[in-house]
Amino acid sequence: MVQYHHRGCHRQGNHETVGENKEKRPKFFINDHVDILIEILKRLDCRSLCVAASVCRLWCTIARNDSLWENLCFRHVSPPPTSVRSVVLALGGYKRLYMGCVRPVRSRLGRARRASWARDEVQLSLSLFCVDYYERLGGSNSNGRVVGESSPSSLMFLCKPVNV
Amino acid sequence: MVLYDSTALAGNSSGSSSSSSSKPPPPPLQPQQQQEIDGLLAGAGYKVRSSELRKVAQRLERLETAMVNSPADFSQLASDTIHYNPSDLASWVDSLLSEFAQPPTCPSEFVMDPVTNQTVVNDAWTTTEPNMPQVHQNISYEQQSLNNQLTVVTAMEEDSGIRLVHMLMTCAECIQRGDFPLATSFLEDMQGLLTRVNTVCGIGKVAGHFIDALGRRIFQGIGGGSINGGSAYENEILYHHFYEACPYLKFAHFTANQAILEAFDGHDCVHVVDFNLMHGLQWPALIQALALRPGGPPLLRLTGIGPPSPDGRDSLREIGLRLAELARSVNVRFAFRGVAASRLEDVKPWMLEVNPKESVAVNSIMQLHRLLGSEPNRNSPVETVLSWIRSLNPKIMTVVEQEANHNQPGFLDRFTEALHYYSTMFDSLEACTVQPDKALAEIYIQREITNVVSCEGSARVERHEPLARWRTRLSGAGFRPLHLGSNAYKQASMLLTLFSAEGYSVEENDGCLTLGWHSRPLIAASAWQALSDAPAEFPAPDTHRPS
Repeated sequence: MVQYHHRGCHRQGNHETVGENKEKRPKFFINDHVDILIEILKRLDCRSLCVAASVCRLWCTIARNDSLWENLCFRHVSPPPTSVRSVVLALGGYKRLYMGCVRPVRSRLGRARRASWARDEVQLSLSLFCVDYYERLGGSNSNGRVVGESSPSSLMFLCKPVNV
Repeated sequence: MVLYDSTALAGNSSGSSSSSSSKPPPPPLQPQQQQEIDGLLAGAGYKVRSSELRKVAQRLERLETAMVNSPADFSQLASDTIHYNPSDLASWVDSLLSEFAQPPTCPSEFVMDPVTNQTVVNDAWTTTEPNMPQVHQNISYEQQSLNNQLTVVTAMEEDSGIRLVHMLMTCAECIQRGDFPLATSFLEDMQGLLTRVNTVCGIGKVAGHFIDALGRRIFQGIGGGSINGGSAYENEILYHHFYEACPYLKFAHFTANQAILEAFDGHDCVHVVDFNLMHGLQWPALIQALALRPGGPPLLRLTGIGPPSPDGRDSLREIGLRLAELARSVNVRFAFRGVAASRLEDVKPWMLEVNPKESVAVNSIMQLHRLLGSEPNRNSPVETVLSWIRSLNPKIMTVVEQEANHNQPGFLDRFTEALHYYSTMFDSLEACTVQPDKALAEIYIQREITNVVSCEGSARVERHEPLARWRTRLSGAGFRPLHLGSNAYKQASMLLTLFSAEGYSVEENDGCLTLGWHSRPLIAASAWQALSDAPAEFPAPDTHRPS
């Protein structure tokens, strides 16, 4: 996936102009065409998207765009009704949904997975995400629990066990 | 080296406790009998008191097991060991045991021997219990003898664990018979044995809780004392940690929500009555599911029942506000009402303000069993509550209960069942390695254990009954069962797969779902609908499945 970066930063052009690249203006620079860039990034997987976010400031801003993560969440599932988007945005956004719930759910269920479960996985992730949001709502009134961690407690069981 | 005949000595003592599991224990010695025996022993040349003999016998048995299991060390014993004067039996046996324990992998079970790094080894033990330590292949001779030592000691630890269980049962039997002095002596023995067993995990931990509960019963009586007086605030915290540490409550919530969601399909005005609101952790997922259902969300009213808060904080209202904020974020019209009642039977239906045009769902997560009394009668609280639930004509009533028979009249039966049930539950808790603070979840379970074992009468509220009995009871009260459906089953299976421990199993039982650990069901979820015409006295018509 690093090739996209190379193609973007070096010119794409005819082969005969390779030797003269220092004098001519580049014919195509991907950063000038943000919509194409977004279309490309939409098709990446999570790891590549995170790598892409480290390329440059523009790419970082784009990679934070929630619609990319929405695509990731619903990649193997038929497109959901539009009402889902408003709910997810209200609960914290697609990136948070993906990183906090969908990704661990998918990886844990990976061994026992069936194709028909894809939609149910997302629904289950959504429910867990909602409980998590609710707990974050109560975070300031919470009763002496350790709040120092980035992932709130009800999703703890999704985290990888740390070998102490 | 000569082994003294341990059987002859054991016969003189008041019964070695290892063999007491199968026969009833002999009565304790009277003081003059003890003096006689002391005199006899002294005459035979032994410097040991008859009261110590039981412990000495136990240690001799251990020594015998150690010798049998590691014959390679005999030669070492013969030449290098410093033997103490064998007439001082107790220290002689201990010195021999310490010889066996000499390599640094000795656990602190060998209490008399101050091996330097025994605390280090205890940690190593924690990781290998309860499974036998896997012997590494291709090891040198020293390592092999070390492993033999480990094997020896694990066998002894398992042996102590089994011994603890036997003693627990015997003690419970004494209590049932009313023989409190004997029960007290057993209690002391068990507490002593407990110091030599690993109490961080496995049978030692569960046994510790049961020993505590028995102690409470013997010394504090059956009134329940301070254990039930834990404040509502504490209970909520413990409940929350139990929710996080293991999947039982999550399973309960998700399954009940799925059933309620399906029952509310097509209705625009819905009302959920929750018999135990706590922190309201069940409801965010339902609110979100209702927000996303095809056709748009209904108007949702939630009535939460909970204990009154003593210090002026209106905790019910706070939870209601939080849920309202969540509902507002996802555009669900929401209204909350809190009903404060310290007991469920104090709630009257008019407090719930049910509108006749709305569809009602009643949700009871581990609350109905608190209404049961010890003997069934027509006016018991559970019958009253079930009849007013029926009068609300709910679209669905979701009932989740512990799958155990902890309401038997006989103490010993109840104790045995509880021991098995909670051992299984603790096993499942241990297998979940992620949670760092399982301690509070364990305290939650410990309170249940204490209530089941040490309380009677109105103080005993944890009167769990198995699913079959609930089926009979609910059918007799005018409800018919609703099947939970494949969506609920799928969701429950997925939820369990997410947990890192691999022993959980979801089973479908005639339309109800049970969650268990290694095929022992621990919690059962079922759904019911009120029969609108059949009165409560007559059995429900047999158009539905017989229970």
